This record gives sequence, C-alpha cells and structure tokens, in this order.
Amino acid sequence: MTSTTLPILLLLGGFVLQLLLARWLTPVGKGVLATAVVFASFLASLTLVPASMAGVAAEAPLLAGWDGPLSIGLRVDGLSVLFMVMGTGIGAAILLFSVRYMEHEEQGTTRFYAIMLVFIAGLLLLAGAADMLGAYVAWEVIGLCSYSLVGFWYKQKAATDGARKVLVITHLAGYGFLVGLVLVYARAGTLVWTDPAVAPAFTSGVAALFIVAAMAKSVMFPLHTWIPEAMNAPTPVSALLHSACYVKAGVYLIARMYVVGGGQWHEAMGTPLLAVGCVTILVGVIFAMAQTDLKRLLAFHTVSQLGYIVVGLALGTDLGLAAGLFYCLSHALFKGTLFMCAGAIQHATGTRDLRDLGGLASAMPGTAKVWIIAAASIAGVPLTNGFVAKWLLFSAALDKGLLVVVLVGWIGSILTAFSFLKATVNAFYGVPSTALLGKRIHEASPSMLAGMGSMAGLCLLFGVAPQLLMLPIVAPAVRSLGFDWAVEMSWLGILTDRGTIAVTVGGGVVLASAMLGLLVYRLAQAPAPGLVSVYSGGEPLPAGDRPGAVDFAEMAETAFHPVYSLDPDPGYLRIWRALTRVAGAAQTTAGAVLEDRPLLPIGLVAIAALAGVWLV
Amino acid sequence: MDTVLIPLFLGIALGVGLYARAIPQGDRSWWRFAATTVALAVAARLAGHSWTATLLASAAELVAVGMVWSGGTDAARAAARKYLTAVVLATLCTWAALALTGLGTLRPGAPWDKLAVALLLIGVALKLGLVPVYFWLPAVARASSAMTTALIVAVVDVGAFCELLTLRDTAPWIFTGFAPLWIGLAVLSLLGAALLALAQRALKPMLAFSSIDDMGYLLLGLVIGGADGMAGAWFGILGHALGKIVLFGAVGAAEWHLGRAVTLDDRGLSTPLPVASAAFMLGALGFIGIPPTLGFIGHWRLYLAGAELGGPLLLIVLYASSAMALLCYVRVIHRVWLGPAAAGPAVGTGGQPLPRAAAAVLLVFAIAPVLFGLVPNRLRPTLDPHPHVAELTGPLVANPLGGVK
Repeated sequence: MTSTTLPILLLLGGFVLQLLLARWLTPVGKGVLATAVVFASFLASLTLVPASMAGVAAEAPLLAGWDGPLSIGLRVDGLSVLFMVMGTGIGAAILLFSVRYMEHEEQGTTRFYAIMLVFIAGLLLLAGAADMLGAYVAWEVIGLCSYSLVGFWYKQKAATDGARKVLVITHLAGYGFLVGLVLVYARAGTLVWTDPAVAPAFTSGVAALFIVAAMAKSVMFPLHTWIPEAMNAPTPVSALLHSACYVKAGVYLIARMYVVGGGQWHEAMGTPLLAVGCVTILVGVIFAMAQTDLKRLLAFHTVSQLGYIVVGLALGTDLGLAAGLFYCLSHALFKGTLFMCAGAIQHATGTRDLRDLGGLASAMPGTAKVWIIAAASIAGVPLTNGFVAKWLLFSAALDKGLLVVVLVGWIGSILTAFSFLKATVNAFYGVPSTALLGKRIHEASPSMLAGMGSMAGLCLLFGVAPQLLMLPIVAPAVRSLGFDWAVEMSWLGILTDRGTIAVTVGGGVVLASAMLGLLVYRLAQAPAPGLVSVYSGGEPLPAGDRPGAVDFAEMAETAFHPVYSLDPDPGYLRIWRALTRVAGAAQTTAGAVLEDRPLLPIGLVAIAALAGVWLV
Repeated sequence: MDTVLIPLFLGIALGVGLYARAIPQGDRSWWRFAATTVALAVAARLAGHSWTATLLASAAELVAVGMVWSGGTDAARAAARKYLTAVVLATLCTWAALALTGLGTLRPGAPWDKLAVALLLIGVALKLGLVPVYFWLPAVARASSAMTTALIVAVVDVGAFCELLTLRDTAPWIFTGFAPLWIGLAVLSLLGAALLALAQRALKPMLAFSSIDDMGYLLLGLVIGGADGMAGAWFGILGHALGKIVLFGAVGAAEWHLGRAVTLDDRGLSTPLPVASAAFMLGALGFIGIPPTLGFIGHWRLYLAGAELGGPLLLIVLYASSAMALLCYVRVIHRVWLGPAAAGPAVGTGGQPLPRAAAAVLLVFAIAPVLFGLVPNRLRPTLDPHPHVAELTGPLVANPLGGVK
C-alpha cells in the first residue's frame, strides 16, 4: 500500500467493514463509520497535494496483472488531486449530514453507506486512472453506484423510474467513451493517457465520442433530462450526485483530454463544446425558474452551472481551465450545501414543495443562514466563491474576445439570482403556508448543520481568499494539463496581472460597505423575525400575501414559453416507441415465418450458405 | 485437461442440482436427463478435440432433448420435437463438415472445402439457435422449466461454442476464408435477436433471444480471431454461462413464487423476492457487459475486435445491439422486479418464498461474474492451452500502468 493508493484503499476497506459489521452497527454507527472512513481518505488525499504542487505525478499499480497484459494503475497528477480532494472532502461533509438524516431509515442503511463509499472510491479511481480503460471501468462503477443510490427506495415507482432514466441515458451515451477508447487502442496499441503514441490516434471523432459520454454524465443539453428525475433519492445521494461525484465525472473527462497531444482535440471540438455549454447555461436556468419542487429546482440549476464549468474548459486557455476547475470546486461546495439545506427542510417539514413552505427562517435559523450563503454563492454575489468563479470565467472569455459568452453567462447569472430569490423567499420568509400549520418544525440536528455549515463556511472563505484554493489545488491541476500558468491573484479573486488594482480597491469598498451595513442593522436593533409581508418589488400586496412560487413559475413559463419546447424527452420517447413498434412487427413476421415453419428458415439458410460459399 | 470449462460445468451442475432440489424443475426422468447431459458435456471436454469428444457432445445434445420432453405437456413435447429436429440436422451437418476436413486438420480440395464450410455454417447456426434458424430455443424456453433452458444454454451450447473455438485454432481457413458469411450470420443474430427480445412479453423467451443475441457477439469475436477476438469470445462465453444460470434461475424463482410464467405485466417482485431480484439485476448488468463484471472483459475485447475488422460500421452494429439489450433488460428490471408490488394476492399456487438453497445458488452465481471480472486471469486454462490462450498468457505486466497491447 502506498500513499497514492491509500485514499482508494481506505474507502474500499470501509466498504468491506460496512458489510462485515452490518449486523452489529446501528444506522448511526454505520454513518459514523462511513464518515470517518471518508474523512481519513480526505486526509490521505491531502497528503498528495505537495507532490502535485511540485509537478510530480505519483504512479502506483492498483490491480497488477488484471486482464492479460493490462493492469489497472494510478498516475496521480494535479488534476487527479483536485478531484480526489473534492470527492473526499465533500463526501465527508455529506456523510456527516447523513448520520442523522438516515438514522430513522428502517432498512437498507448498510447498502446505502456501502454504495456511497464505492461511489466516492469510483470517482477517485476515475481521477487517478493512468489509462483510459481504468477510467472507463471507474466511469461505469460510478454509474452503477448512482443507479443503485437513486433507486434506493426501490419499492417506490418514482425512485425506480428516476434510476432507470439515469442508467439508460448515461450508459447509452457512455458507450461513446468505450467506442472511443477501443478506436484509440486499435490504432495506438496503448491506452495510457500520457503515452505519446495515443495522440495520433486521438482524432476529432474520438474526442467527439468522449464528449458525448461526458455530456450525458455532466448533464449537458440535450442529455440532461435524467437529472430532475433522479431527485426521488435520499438527499445525501442527490447532494453527492450533484456536487462532487457524478456530474463532475464528465467535467473530469473533458479536462483530462487536454493531456493528450497538448489538447489537440480542442481545435476541432472546442467551439461546438462552447456552444453546448452556453445553451446549457440558459436552458438549465430557464427550466429551473419554472420549478416549484425545491430539489427539481436545484437539479435544473445543476444543469445550468455545469454549463458554466464546461464553458470554462472549452475556452482552451490557461485562465479558462483555471476558471472551469475553480468553478467545479466552488459548485461542489455551494450545490452540496444547497441540497443538504433542501434535505433539512424536507426532513423538518415533510415537504419540499415551495408552495407548501414559508417562514422557516424563524424555526430553522441555522439552516436559513447556511442556505442564504450558498444561494448567494450560486448567484455570484461578491465575497462568495461563486463570484470568484464567475469573475474568472468572464475574464477568460473576455481574454479570448468572446463577448457573447460573457453575455450568456451574465443573463444566466441574473436568472439564477431571480430563481434563488424566489426559492429563498418562499421557503424561509413571509407567512408560513397553511400546509405547515400545526406542524412542529425543528431545526436541523447539530451534525446536519455541521455538515452543511462547514461547506457554507468554505464558500465564504474561498470567496474572500480564493488563492487558498488556487495555489495548492487549482494551479497544479492546470499545470498538469500542459499549461504553464502562474497564479496572479489577490483577495476576492482579483487578477493582479491585469492591472485591476482599482477594482481590487473597489472590492475592498464593497466588503467594507457590507460590514458597515451589517453593523448599522445590528445597532438599529432590527426587529425580530416575524410574520410580515415581503417587499414584492412594486405595489404592496395584501397583508399576508406574497409573490409565491406559482406566480413566479407562471411568469417564467409565460416569458420563456418557446424555450420549454426544447425538452428533448418527447423525442426520446418517440424513438423508443418506434423501436418497440419495429420489434413488434419483426416478431409478428418472424413468428409466422421462422418459428412456426422451421423447415423454411432451414432451407433458406442452406441455400444462402451454399450460394455464399461459392460467391465468397 | 480443460481446467476452466470442466470446473465450470461441474459448478453449474452442483448449483442447478441444489436449486432443483429446492425448486422442482421436473420429475425423476428430468434429473436423469439433466445429470446425463452434464456428464456427457464434461466427458466431451475431457476427451479433448477428437471424434470421441464430438460424439459425446452430440450425445449430450440428444439427451438434453429428453430433458425438454420430460416436461410432459403438449407444449413441451412440441418444443422437444423442434429441438430434436435442430439437433439431428445440426449433428449431421457438423459431422459431415468435420469428416470432410478431418476434424479441421486438413483442407480438402475444391469444391469439398466449400461444401464443408457450408455444412458447418448450417450446423453451427442450428446448434446455437442463431437467426434465422432459432425456432427451437424460444419454444424450449416457453415450454420448459427455467433450469432446463439454462442447462441447455449454459452447458450444451457453451460446449458447442468452445468446440468451435478449438476449430478456429485448428482450421482457421474455415473462418478467415469465408469471413463475410460468418460475420453476416453473427450480425443477423445480434441485431435480429436483440430486436426480437424487445418484442417479448414473457421473460423466458426474452432471455432465450438475449442468448441468441449474445451468441452473435461471441461468434463475431471468434470469426475475427486474433488475441482480442479470441479472448473476447473466451471470456464472453464464460460470462454467458454464468449469467444465464442467474437470469433463468431468478425467473424460475419468480415463477415458483407466482405459480405461473412471468411476464412484463408482473410488478414489484423485488418485495417478496429481494435476493432473486438482486441476482437478476447483477446477472443482467453482467450480461450487458457493464464493468467490473466478466461480461465486460469479454465485451470490450469484442468491440476491439470489431473495430479492427469492420471499423466504425461494425462498431455501430455492436452499439445498436448493446443498446437494445440494455433497454430490454432495464425494462424487465423496472417493470417486473423493482417498484411497488402489484395489488392483490398472487395467483395460482403462488406466494411461496424463495427457498434458502435456491437463494444461495443465485447469489453465488450472481457474484461470481463480478469477482472473476476483477481477476480474469484466473480463468485462463493452465494446462494444454489452445494457441489463442497461449497468446493471452504472454508477458503479463509489460507496463505496470497497463495499456500496452
């Protein structure tokens, strides 16, 4: 066992322990064990940071002599470390949250924690795999884990329908990865990412196949439709799926392609990928605006946010990659937090329907604060990591002269802010809905608050001091992809190599103003939260009324009516129906001709074989 | 001695025996026929590549017909007649072809070489139930107990296919010289059977068509040959054998529970039969070729062999077949096994829980492909390897990071 393989082996050891100790551990005990294992794996991943900062790629065999001459081995470079730290760090926080969230689950907790551990181990293997075959194995292991976890409540139709969609869409598209690597191996005789022989074999067609696979995993339009259906899973699963382990697999694959031939694929596929990313930003957020289910709303925002990340990677510059990878980490933090808040709300109220929520800030003040930080982050409010991520992304796009990308990103940010304003107001402020009357709503447990609070805290920390993440994690990742990038960044993510000292000062003023505002608010002895109407942005609404989720959703549906026709699901359904019709017709014919009259096909085959051998 | 197939067949015999004691598959005559079928198949493997082996394998096929006939119903007898027709014709064609080629040791002059290939093609198609002469396999699946079909597919057919693998080594000209015909047969089977599997409502015939589809895959690997094609076919056939025992076994357990045939109209069987449900899911995923199962070890090499021979066009065909197989199995998993259970009591004599022995057999056969998928090298024969196996057992770790061909 080496320090390189330790993070993965710890997780697999935890998996075995879960199975062995299942009979003796309580659900809480299983959760604590899983959290401890993932946290240990996180610490082990952190030990890999110094080597990656020094530009060293650590190599180690994981499954030597696996399949003939092929082995599964690790080659952990800067990009690997980024995903390993993200997967284990976010995973540990989510599992800490799970301890209390899952404690009342009557059955299946061993299955839940065991698969969660394999899920995270799969991401680590994907990130560290030295070659494409190992990466593909990890890719599908992640897929299977996700399928099992989304269908955790396998006796509920909604849960199994979601799982089915996850498997079908991502696996069918995932064949692109398999076919692509097969073509590379057939031409190059090797699958090692960094082998120079791979570059000539890694054609634009192969890159396109890899991108299709990545699009499905990373919910790019039009392969994104599985993700809202995957929401009928336990919230920790949704959180892990959306933040760190699943949708980021596609991001990883796109980034990893840059090590092949110096990113030669980008010349032909960069622009199409950029276009896909931009469309995804807008489609995701517009669909999110029409949702009234909190988790579905967050799911569509995942689509939109992944669009930003892919745009960053598709820019093909050092700053673009840094922006994309920083965005990837930031998204993991704020989206994981948001999902855990949604889970805490559902846990406390029994619903996640925004129409049935309201006024929760008074009953769940801790959750409300955490939610607001994460919501501010996803909307790109200064002082959060979401702001830094967008700032870097827009800077990278402007460097390339792609004003349209900035425009799309800006519109997407505005709509994101609108959508989260709706969600925040509907869930936490205003008058509680009648559906909540008589319910005893409780704050999230301390461990749940610790899980989501720690991540929200990091959203603020990396918003104020992004260089803490940039220097040890993001910059080595960018350099490992063949870009010679030196971090020139100050507080708040201001790029100091672009003569923006004045903007830095401006950022400081913003920070000071915010602090001053808070001080004034406190000194003015602000009234305690109560059942008050919310400022609606116009004429006062009748007492007790407020702009609700339905109003907002209807407004969005009216305003963006043509966009909603871009739902690809009806198209997929038509393909399926056509296929079953063809199959039915084939069966009718074959049944009558081939099955009921055996001598006929035998005669036909005999004639065809005899004719064939003389013709060949 | 064949150190992989013989233990595999004996393991299958033990598993099917335990399963059949817990969930009856037939009367005493069924037991006799089943035991004799496996014994003859094992003896054929012990005899190596010889006329004795050919005779023993053919005898195993004929005895397997008796297994179907022992079902006793009109449908069983009709299916047995169809199977017998296929077996007799296939045996005659194959024997004639082998006689013409001296068991594959010589190439006769024209036109006898062409005749031999044509006869072998017909014989193989009939034996393995390939499209368009698949008529006997769905009929057998519909009319027989689950493990009857499983034994035929996992022992008799696998034995026949492995005999073909040997012939691929001893007489490669049969395949390379007439590759378009073999590839045509393989493509027709993997596309046609995948499409027909989608049209089935009853699970056992669906599994039968899925077997035919998989045989098309494996035949393609065999015809393409080379280290990748042969290794793909070898690992694929092993995954096929293990997978079919699990899939038919799980469906048999559901039939036992319901007291009737299982169709796509059944719902939520995972609630009363969680072990059978999990086994079916694992078996299906392995059969589709999802890593880290043994099915993947075979399938990715078959894709590779397809790419080397037919380029993107053949890859598209393989993709189409894989996609249809996935849709087919996922539909079954989500309609029949997962989700809420159907309202109301089970019909017939149903409602019976899965016996422990049957559950244990299903679990062992479901987990085995996953474990072997992690250590596929263990499945390589250690004695008297055929040339294709020798190619596989070359220097194992050319590069500790993998990826070197």
